[in-house]
Amino acid sequence: MSTTSIEQHGHVEHAAHENGHDHAHHELPWFRKYVFSTDHKVIAKQFMILALTFLFVGGAFALFIRWQLAYPGEPIPIIGSILPSTWVTQPGSGVITPEFFVQLLSMHGTIMIFFVIIPLAAGMFGNFCIPLMIGTDDMALPRLNMWSFWLLPPAGLIMMSGFFTETGYAAAGWTSYPPLSANTSVPGMTITGQTLWLISLFLVGFSSIMGAVNYISTIINKRAKGMKMFDMPLTVWALFITAIMITLGTPVLASGLAMLFMDNFFHTSFFLPDNLVTQARHASQYGAGQPVLFQHVFWFYSHPAVYIMILPLMGIVSDVMATFARKPIYGYKAMIFAIAAIAGLGFMVWGHHMFMSGMNPLLGTTFMLSTIVIAVPSSIKVFNWLGTLWRGNIRFTSAMLNALAFVSMFIIGGLSGIFMASAPVDIFIHDTYFIVAHIHYVLFGGSLFGIFAGIYYWFPKMYGKMLNETWGRRHFFWTFLAFNFTFFPMHVLGVAGHMRRVYDPNIYDFLKHLQGINEFITISALVLGFSQLILVGNIIWSMKWGKKAPRNPWRANTLEWAAPAHPGHGNFDRDIIVYRGPYEFGVLGRELDYWPQWEPGKSISVHHHTIALEETPIKPEYGSH
Amino acid sequence: MSDVLHILDMLAWFPENISTYGAELDWMFAVIYWLSVAIFVLTFGIMLWFLVKYRYRPDRRGYNYHGNNIVEITWTILPTILFVGIGLWSDSMWETTKYAKKVPVADVEIVVMGKQFGWYFMYPGADGKFGRNAYNDRTAREMMSATNPFGRDSVDPAGKDDFVMENQFKFPVNANVVVRGSTLDVLHSFFLPHARVKQDVIPGTWMNIWFNCFKTGKFELACAELCGGGHYAMRAEYEVLSRTGYDAWLDKKNAEMIVLNGQATTAPAADAPTSDTTSAAATQTAAPSTSNAAKH
Repeated sequence: MSTTSIEQHGHVEHAAHENGHDHAHHELPWFRKYVFSTDHKVIAKQFMILALTFLFVGGAFALFIRWQLAYPGEPIPIIGSILPSTWVTQPGSGVITPEFFVQLLSMHGTIMIFFVIIPLAAGMFGNFCIPLMIGTDDMALPRLNMWSFWLLPPAGLIMMSGFFTETGYAAAGWTSYPPLSANTSVPGMTITGQTLWLISLFLVGFSSIMGAVNYISTIINKRAKGMKMFDMPLTVWALFITAIMITLGTPVLASGLAMLFMDNFFHTSFFLPDNLVTQARHASQYGAGQPVLFQHVFWFYSHPAVYIMILPLMGIVSDVMATFARKPIYGYKAMIFAIAAIAGLGFMVWGHHMFMSGMNPLLGTTFMLSTIVIAVPSSIKVFNWLGTLWRGNIRFTSAMLNALAFVSMFIIGGLSGIFMASAPVDIFIHDTYFIVAHIHYVLFGGSLFGIFAGIYYWFPKMYGKMLNETWGRRHFFWTFLAFNFTFFPMHVLGVAGHMRRVYDPNIYDFLKHLQGINEFITISALVLGFSQLILVGNIIWSMKWGKKAPRNPWRANTLEWAAPAHPGHGNFDRDIIVYRGPYEFGVLGRELDYWPQWEPGKSISVHHHTIALEETPIKPEYGSH
Repeated sequence: MSDVLHILDMLAWFPENISTYGAELDWMFAVIYWLSVAIFVLTFGIMLWFLVKYRYRPDRRGYNYHGNNIVEITWTILPTILFVGIGLWSDSMWETTKYAKKVPVADVEIVVMGKQFGWYFMYPGADGKFGRNAYNDRTAREMMSATNPFGRDSVDPAGKDDFVMENQFKFPVNANVVVRGSTLDVLHSFFLPHARVKQDVIPGTWMNIWFNCFKTGKFELACAELCGGGHYAMRAEYEVLSRTGYDAWLDKKNAEMIVLNGQATTAPAADAPTSDTTSAAATQTAAPSTSNAAKH
């Protein structure tokens, strides 16, 4: 099938969809091509642009928080003077108020998790990689796919419009535990930042579910001819298992949010006990609700959500490492089973967020054991990545550097997790900066480095241009250094007892000696924040002036590299038949050190080695590299 | 350079430990810490070694090898043994610190109430027992208010000598202190960094918290659960007193209560209670009136 025939085919399909329109030329209108597009690649780019925008919003919020912690009582430079001096800053000083501080940290967490990491990990890579890597033209349900993106911008607007309510943004942390999040001190039916937060996350949840349903049906139904489940790259496997987790977990979050919305807006009492004494009044109308119930419902989703945020990146990092180490993934099936084990156990460990919550300590014992067992599949993955590097031929491209950073930072994040998995050790470090360090080692050091690796790896296929390697390495270098300088000292703060979410630690005598570390962290965080501009600059510059990408720039094996350098709607310009697994590098009896999945040829497997029996030379018209 | 090393020596940063079980908790942290350091050095070291040894060479070719089940099983079973071991080993300390049945007999019993943004501490007073309040009688919750945070029943004579401290409390050294904690409004967390105590407190539910401090002095108490804008300022102080110092302080407080109650009631001269208060009065404490309340 040639390029033109695909385009014609696609066009006929679309003409059928929109028989109401009558266009003289056979082109989609621009807004169907770039805005309300059903093309999975366009949707992926939309997810990327939206999430990177929010990355800077969330990052800026983090820098406000850091400024206050390092220099409490000092006005924020430049920006402090333009902030309104109501509840945002103390009148005339440019110093943020404690109330605004709490709002900032709540919004930082919410934005980074729900508007940056999940849209990038599941939304962007899910959309971009799945159809291309399983060799199909688009998602199974393209319209639903479009909706899964277009719920996010309104959700983001609703979330950010909290700033314009009377009390400002939601201020109960990204976890929003009631009764604080129920806003019992304001009259019922009042729209507060918290109400908007609940509505917004409800929409985000629907967006996730729509995407996930789509991923599952696409992967099950639309794989290229000859592709068995165990021929899929680990990225697709990880996204598949992640999608299953999303469909199982997100409805539970939605139910919790709905109940909390009732409590918040209509003053019901799902989570509110009787006789609450709020600042405003004696709130005796509340019934016998239980605040801890919300934590159970919330963490039943939000702990799996941690894996939703990291499993896709584990898959991506595996693909990047195999390609640049020129090695088959060590223990491909073990990697899949480990992902599945993490996903399965991930639904049984939510209670470790609640060791100190006041739930029955007997549950603490059981959750401690299940939690500590989840370290086993995680360590299997790390060992297999090391096995993949072993006897490879490693090229340190920007993508590979970020993937290696993912592995090493994930080791640190995983090890610091053991501390809090042990319930008695958690007594001291719970709700201290040790937890903050841990979550950032997993979600920044893990997820975000994985996302960077994925962006550097697939950018050529997304835009048909190569990203600039030199600036890619500079971005990596500054990010990696500043990241560790920012978040490693937070472990120390935590061990010294520094609580999370405090506006001014200096009112405590036992925290006063930590001021120097806080300043150091803030300076590093500023460097970390501003070094992300290198990435954005690189992306924008390369989109326009980058070197034209070849069809298969990394000489990789998976199906997306069979597509044209800048694939249009419909993706492939030839029929795809899959002949082998995704990681056949360095096959014996073959001249090239890689053997793409789509190339015909026979091989046998002897003692975990693949030996080529016959090979068909690459057809030069497709220009494999 | 020495500062950098100081950062890496994480264990040196703990605040001074003053509680009996604190040393063991710190020791558990230290064990996991050194284990983590060892695992990190091992895995990261191997990774660096591979990265250097197998870096790109034009004449080199990646080794086509898909993995080995024996190796996989080995590195599944070894971490399982290690991690499950840590879990089982942790459990006894968890039971000691948190299980309700492991809470020791109280030498000092205090009822704590968190609010936005501060802490109330209630002592049973000279008679050694609490009057009717929201802790020992659920129906008394209706009386809770900003001015009466514990929902104390002013009619109950056993409660007449109960006294409340705000943002500070005191207890004797080497004594089992049992704290019953709850809150008025939102979640708070009762965090005593030096005593290695942390427990979220929940409105409508009572938490059992216990500790035993072996060192006297003044220390700080913080809230560790986000509870609003003033969360950071929800600070309180506690003082661990010597036995005699604590008794003297209690006597002083009891005497204050007598003066306070003497003004309000017509103190019937009952027989002197058996406390070691020197000011023998403590009359209205009404130890005989066992009738109500305390049964809950």
